[in-house]
Amino acid sequence: MTSTVNPERVLRELAGLWASAGQPGGAEDGAEAGVLRACTMTLVVAAEDGHDWQGLGETIAALMPEHPARAILIRLTGAGDRALSGLVSAQCWLPSGQRRHICCEQVEIAASDAALADLPSVVRPLAVPDLPVVLWCRSARLAGMPEFDALAARAGKVIVDSQELPLGAVARLAARGTLVGDLAWTRITRWRETLSLVFENRHNLARLGSLTNLSVAHSAPMANTAAYMAAWISNALPNLEISIAPDPQCDSLRVTLAGGGFRVELERHQDRLAVTVDGLSRCANLPLLNDYSLMREELGIVRRDPVFDAALARALQLAYPSG
Amino acid sequence: MPTDNPFQDPLRFERHVPECVVVIFGANGDLTRRKLLPALYRLAYDRRLSAGFAVVGISRTPLSDTQFRERMLEAVKQFSEDTTFDADVWNSFAEGLFYIPGDIGDAGLYTRLAARLAEIESARQTGGSVMFYLSTQPSQYASAAQGLGAAGLGKGKGWRRLVVEKPFGHDLASARELSGRLHEVFDESDVYRIDHYLGKETVQNILAFRFGNGIFEPLWNRRYVAHVQITAAESIGVEGRGAYYQEAGALADMIQNHLLQVMATIAMEPSASFRSTSVRDERSKLLRSIRPMTPDEIRRNSVPGQYGPARIGGQDVLGFLQEPGVRPDSQTDTYAAATFFVENWRWAGVPFYVRTGKRLPKRVTEIAIQFNPAPLAIFGEGDGDRSPNLLIVRIQPEEGISLKFLSKRPGSGMDLRPVSMDFNYGSSFGERSPSAYETLLVDAMIGDATLYTRQDMVEASWSVVEPIQNVWRETRFDFPNYDAGSWGPAAAGDMLARRGHVWRRP
Repeated sequence: MTSTVNPERVLRELAGLWASAGQPGGAEDGAEAGVLRACTMTLVVAAEDGHDWQGLGETIAALMPEHPARAILIRLTGAGDRALSGLVSAQCWLPSGQRRHICCEQVEIAASDAALADLPSVVRPLAVPDLPVVLWCRSARLAGMPEFDALAARAGKVIVDSQELPLGAVARLAARGTLVGDLAWTRITRWRETLSLVFENRHNLARLGSLTNLSVAHSAPMANTAAYMAAWISNALPNLEISIAPDPQCDSLRVTLAGGGFRVELERHQDRLAVTVDGLSRCANLPLLNDYSLMREELGIVRRDPVFDAALARALQLAYPSG
Repeated sequence: MPTDNPFQDPLRFERHVPECVVVIFGANGDLTRRKLLPALYRLAYDRRLSAGFAVVGISRTPLSDTQFRERMLEAVKQFSEDTTFDADVWNSFAEGLFYIPGDIGDAGLYTRLAARLAEIESARQTGGSVMFYLSTQPSQYASAAQGLGAAGLGKGKGWRRLVVEKPFGHDLASARELSGRLHEVFDESDVYRIDHYLGKETVQNILAFRFGNGIFEPLWNRRYVAHVQITAAESIGVEGRGAYYQEAGALADMIQNHLLQVMATIAMEPSASFRSTSVRDERSKLLRSIRPMTPDEIRRNSVPGQYGPARIGGQDVLGFLQEPGVRPDSQTDTYAAATFFVENWRWAGVPFYVRTGKRLPKRVTEIAIQFNPAPLAIFGEGDGDRSPNLLIVRIQPEEGISLKFLSKRPGSGMDLRPVSMDFNYGSSFGERSPSAYETLLVDAMIGDATLYTRQDMVEASWSVVEPIQNVWRETRFDFPNYDAGSWGPAAAGDMLARRGHVWRRP
């Protein structure tokens, strides 16, 4: 049996959705009649049917106030007939202290593997004109399939997570000229920022040249994140002796820079990031990052990120030293 | 030795505060407790302060470092509106809080301060950079600066900056005198006159809106703009500050600084770059282009007001004269409205109506730009609403921008109705906006004075406001002239009506 999605019908349903939301009574009690429609991009999210779709829906809903988007959710249903089906809905919220609902559109498309080749022709007309298209791929399986390339080719930015993919796959995407975001890299932004802050101090900056050793210990799932961290630091300090090793005691990363009697350590304990410089410790708030906080940062950057590009290239050398 | 931090990533990192010490004079006061410490704590929470960052509080109350930390902890817990309190972050931050009791007029205070700063610099590697924040009575600004100068604290190993709160003088002569006294110790480039309105996200967004887009600037002139209204309304009264307020008044307290700065931002010419000097040069130029009025013009183009008692929402509300600490015959303006004209090619002949007041119906600050009607009315009187296009920049609350235009109502006839196209700052960018004090403190510590007021701007504002003050002082007004909870005196409406305009009801 074959089923399909007609983009024009989906667009008509979206228009109908706005018309009904704009009617008196379309908004809930206490709110003004009518809604404010907000959109800054088209966000295409692909995930397996077995994924936590409720959690994914909550992540998308949380992102909408900061990155209002037409969300196109692609549910990958796996083997079976060549089948595509669609469902249209709206995500609305009433900002605190305000009188009018803000709404964003959501289109959910279920696609079997056999229908993946048809997806670009459905997604293309559904993308909001003149605004960026961002593809967030939550499926390592899809990222390895040839159909993924056609979907990624439409996107201004592709976001993946090399915690679930080999770094090589990220590099291949980047090599095709696609703007890539890797959540494994995003996870260390606050770590990097904290380390950078240490060297905003002129006294510490003057001792930078004395550092000779870098050690990055990591929990099992954080191997690529550790490689990124080591890569980023070694891009700034090219002559360091580098050690990257898993450590079962470590809940995420532990970064140690040492040499010439100078020592800088970063380690996360519960929801705090502790930075210790020559024994003087200071801690800052660093809750465990979830998909929402990672995507919130990545969606804010829809242009080339030269620091990431350089870190990715160096991380590949560190992860695959034999080339 | 590297001179630049090789770990910087401006695309993803927040702006960071370099290592320094902030010395707060008036550390036991309301501003420190309500605004400064909560803002600094928030910066610590967001990891934006350097590890050795320190605060030295100064006031007359005898307190130890520990007692000062306890007081500031209470303040942070009470006044941090949208920040989760985190004990570990606080403990880390509090290690950098110190206190020195003393009188601003006592030379010994500055000797003790110098010694303490040397200790902190050595222990916390602050690099010798110090920002002095005068959160005291304005009458103490000059004494504090002179004391710092006499102790050699005006210059040091790192940078030295002085932040002063408004009012910057009470007239042109006193503003000049104050600047002169400050300049004996600090260069003008190291004096940061804080105007918290300029730190508000939406005021900064005016610059982005005007100069980041190509479609609005061609309309931003006398050819298309009929008039501009700037409103800063407060629903509260003087809230126990009657004694202080009756020495200031709405004109000096709001229009001389905040609202003229907002007007300068909305009307200034595009600057050559977004560098501090360029932007401030243009603001200053605009302020200097506002035509000072003659006494006759002032009587026609300005309106003072004072609220009387009323019943609002079922509650009796005191009039200004009944407020504690207020003289029963006080002539203080709790409301001020004025019509200004900018004498340049862009704005010649366009009235800028500015009003502010206490005990108005709601708290709202906005700028309304009313455009000229279509040059040819092809639709008849019977074709519905003919109201003009309006661009509203809402500064608070519900920050955003709305454009009102006419649209055909669906149906067979040509019935025109106004519709509003809204950009809502909070909903399009749902992330938390930093408070004005967070923005301005970071700017001062980084050395970015774009949002701070310069001496020439202060003097230009006083040149406009002082003649109005003088005429008002010489006149005996029949106060109160508006009820609490109303939109101000009827004379303010008459002032616009003479030009065929009406105040917006925000």
